[in-house]
Amino acid sequence: MTQKLKLPPQVKETELRELYKQMWLIRFFEEKVDEFFAKGMIHGTTHLSVGQEASAVGAIAVLEDKDKITSTHRGHGHCIAKGATVNGMMAELFGRTTGYCKGKGGSMHIADVDKGNLGANGIVGGGFAIAAGAALTSQMKKEGYVVLCFFGDGASNEGSFHEALNLASIWKLPVIFICENNQYGMSGPVKEMINIEDIADRAASYGIPGKVVDGNDVFDTMNGVSEAVERARNGEGPSIIEAKTYRSKGHSKSDAKKYRTREEEKEWLLRDPIKLMAEVMIEEGIFTQQEADQIKADAKKEVEESVEFAKNSPEPTLDALMEDIYA
Amino acid sequence: MRELTYLEAVREAMSQEMRENEDVFILGEDIGVYGGAFGVTRGMIEEFGPERIRNTPISEAAISGTAVGAALTGMRPILELQFSDFMTIAMDNMVNQAAKIRYMYGGKGKVPMVLRTPAGSGTGAAAQHSQSLEAWMAHIPGLKVVQPSTAYDAKGLLKAAIDDDNPVIFYEHKLCYRTKSDVPEEAYSIPLGKADIKKEGTDVTIVATAIMVHKSLEAAEELEKEGIHVEVIDPRTLVPLDIETIVQSVKKTGRLVVVHEAVKRGGFGGEIASLIAESEAFDYLDAPIKRLGGKAVPIPYNPELEKAAVPGVSDIVTAVKETLNRL
Amino acid sequence: MPKEIFMPKLSSTMQVGTLLQWFKEEGDSVEVGEPLFEIMTDKINIEVESYEDGILLKRYFEEDDEVPINHVVGYIGEAGEEVPESPPGESGVSNKPDSPKSPESSEQQTETAPQEQPSEQPEKVRATPAARRVAREREVSLAEIEGSGPKGRVHQADVESFTTTASAAASSASSATPLAQKVAKAEGVELQDIAGSGPRGKIYRADVEKAKQPEAASQTVPAKRVKMAGMRKIVADRMLHSKTTAPHVTLNSEIDMVEVVAMRKRLLDPVEKQTGYRISYTEIIMKATAHALKRHPNINISLEGNEIVQHDAVHIGLAVALEDGLLVPVIKDADRKGLAELTADCKSAGQKAKSGKLKPDEMSEGTFTISNLGMYAVDTFNPVINQPESAILGIGRINEKPVGVDGQIVLRPMMGVSLSFDHRVIDGAPAAAFLTDLKAILENPLELLM
Repeated sequence: MTQKLKLPPQVKETELRELYKQMWLIRFFEEKVDEFFAKGMIHGTTHLSVGQEASAVGAIAVLEDKDKITSTHRGHGHCIAKGATVNGMMAELFGRTTGYCKGKGGSMHIADVDKGNLGANGIVGGGFAIAAGAALTSQMKKEGYVVLCFFGDGASNEGSFHEALNLASIWKLPVIFICENNQYGMSGPVKEMINIEDIADRAASYGIPGKVVDGNDVFDTMNGVSEAVERARNGEGPSIIEAKTYRSKGHSKSDAKKYRTREEEKEWLLRDPIKLMAEVMIEEGIFTQQEADQIKADAKKEVEESVEFAKNSPEPTLDALMEDIYA
Repeated sequence: MRELTYLEAVREAMSQEMRENEDVFILGEDIGVYGGAFGVTRGMIEEFGPERIRNTPISEAAISGTAVGAALTGMRPILELQFSDFMTIAMDNMVNQAAKIRYMYGGKGKVPMVLRTPAGSGTGAAAQHSQSLEAWMAHIPGLKVVQPSTAYDAKGLLKAAIDDDNPVIFYEHKLCYRTKSDVPEEAYSIPLGKADIKKEGTDVTIVATAIMVHKSLEAAEELEKEGIHVEVIDPRTLVPLDIETIVQSVKKTGRLVVVHEAVKRGGFGGEIASLIAESEAFDYLDAPIKRLGGKAVPIPYNPELEKAAVPGVSDIVTAVKETLNRL
Repeated sequence: MPKEIFMPKLSSTMQVGTLLQWFKEEGDSVEVGEPLFEIMTDKINIEVESYEDGILLKRYFEEDDEVPINHVVGYIGEAGEEVPESPPGESGVSNKPDSPKSPESSEQQTETAPQEQPSEQPEKVRATPAARRVAREREVSLAEIEGSGPKGRVHQADVESFTTTASAAASSASSATPLAQKVAKAEGVELQDIAGSGPRGKIYRADVEKAKQPEAASQTVPAKRVKMAGMRKIVADRMLHSKTTAPHVTLNSEIDMVEVVAMRKRLLDPVEKQTGYRISYTEIIMKATAHALKRHPNINISLEGNEIVQHDAVHIGLAVALEDGLLVPVIKDADRKGLAELTADCKSAGQKAKSGKLKPDEMSEGTFTISNLGMYAVDTFNPVINQPESAILGIGRINEKPVGVDGQIVLRPMMGVSLSFDHRVIDGAPAAAFLTDLKAILENPLELLM
């Protein structure tokens, strides 16, 4: 044990293997989805968070079950980290009735309201105010939960960002705005779209804390989010956490990535979040390489099985078309 | 029975509901001590306090999204938009979020919220504060759209709207606010989707909404002197629409005039006319259906121009006579 | 694209028009407003003018042919344009004309489509859905109905009033199955003569065959045969219809005209001075009749469908003999006109009738008719009611006859009169009372001042 691993109070050492497995589940799930899209086995579009697993897993690791999240169009990782099963997710992408949305939402709208996942969102910046509203419920009904609002660097340029952060700050709502800065808003490099280095700096204009963490380092992310969650739970209001990370894949399924270089991609690949996590955990003696390999294999198997589950699930009948429009 | 103004009826419906149900609260701009742009919430903050009569920053995008988030997590928010024109700023949350969440999530979750907003011209507020945009909202599956014309209807329909588990857009016409009618003191509910025959007649059916109900009744009175018996129907809710009552009336009269203040082009009158043309009432039509709506022009400031931009009593009288070949 | 020429509907009761003559040959050029052909309806002769410029491409009917209203009579277009070989039938119902199929013309069609309304199509009837529904339910053709709405749009009320006024027989004459029409034509049987066995008297093929006359025995000397057509046929149909539907009863009487003769003498000059016409007995009898009708409104009636219509106005028709038929111009409001005005009206109506210049509205709305044969050696006759009126007065000659006056036999100018009435709607006693009153008025014409 060369260094003492610092964990936030909300995360126990015994949970780390599970978090490691979540990282692989996300990776394998998305690679599988990528493959199926490429083969034309599933239709529509999808946004992959390969390379960003640590920010999803690290941030959600510090939440309690009662806490809630709002997700983005790039939300598979958030769902899995918040406890969604890959079966239900894969079935949703296959458009089957056993999917999280009975096949009506698809990749961009996976929600698991019971587990506190208020849903992915196809509108960039659509989650800010919804998160604030969910936090308002917690505050008014004294339910004690906090809301983690994921957003991207691109969404921070939406007007809703400003309106919701201002509102959350004046009402001291229990919400944490976590920016996964993956360097690109679709094709737009963050440096060309934002005139400051750190999006976290925008917190100053709302009189709330803003902090930058290493989004590829699951431990750094969880430690950074931990403070913000405590603050929110204590009624001190919202924070911004900016997790610097990198979108390894293109924006969506049809992206030639002409706006960036192979060299840049390779450089970030050296800091692959799963590899980094495994290195630390082996170094800290939390598991062996062999155990790490076993977890990886388990995750792979689970994703393989989810494909079988999805394929064997029924398609919705046409009756379902007009169902669920109104409560 | 005592008389209340439309405005007082709206306020009473909210107050009674808030006394009964802790989950109901109001948010909006200047609704606190100011009492709202039109004074609808005047006095409510004194009874219910600033927690439940929530004054918001001028952030229509945030407050609409916050209402969605709060509704999704168990509250029953009433959102007051100062002018229905500002719907443009709240549009994303109503159209892309509130209306679709339940469907996208495969029937999980619900968004029980009411967006109340004053609409219409006649106050000299000019182009950006006088529109009638209800057809936009009626176009969106997942929303309900209510347009009461009398104090009695306003109170009963607002209770129904608050009790409804879906997002409801509740249009209050500014010129209706000072109109009076008998309103019972106790709480009562008028089901959404039930038209009201405001006056029975045999010669021509007028379907009118909001302030045009009053103008149509005035026109009907004038026509009665010439022996023309007009039936005036107020659908009261556009979504869901009680088309059956209109069909039955048109089968009786054989003639239909549709009147709304909203711009005629693309207005909801076209929907009513089309539904009648498609219905069994078609074979009973003895004259072309007439639509009266606002001219395709922004609402002007000058009072005479403003009046000329929307249908008046004499326009309705003329339209009725035209359908009877009595001009 | 060739344009249809069709049989126009010139009055509310017109079902068919008889083509009297063509003014143009096929291949002639035609201008808008030029007369194309002349037709005769049940009321009037009229020249039909062209609505189009072009070449008369086709004539489907010849002189004396009867053409139902709205049926295509011919085509006007550009030289070389194709038109159907056989008559395409009714405009806008089922038989659409064969559309020209050459690629050139279809190209043209596309190019000119925006301005070119489907005028090549038969003209469609403008009617509301409700009117169409009622017409469907009552099995009447909208084409026959005059619309009261803008641009002639037919409304429900138009259909309803049409179906109640049109007599059952009139509608049966127009209604026959296409097969029945074909068979009737082939066999030379007139559909009007056939009683249909279908709903509303619709004529089926079997009805036509039943009505087929056995071949007349051949004669050694061929008689001159003229097709009964035009006005002759209309008069025939109307007389037959009246006689077969209205049970006629005729009351005869004689009227002592001594006072009327004296009165006429005294009025001759003043009336001539005022009007330029010589007053005749007809006008005085008409005046007296109008006066009596006012007192006996139960005679001034007509039977329309199932309704007895009692007219407030007194419009008296005056039968006018023509060379080949009979016309009945109507003197409107005869009761309100003085003898001078009546004289002027009757004379000009008579002249117009003889010169064929009567307009349809000058022959409509009569409530009672007078037929005067007093210029002939006729004492009395049984006149046939001019439907839908319910009574008609026949006037015989004025003849000096010995009559008993105050115990003395004297010669008096006696005039025979006959009142025929429709016993379905008028009974004997009221008719007799009317005739008695009329006799009293004419025997003491000062009553006209009452």
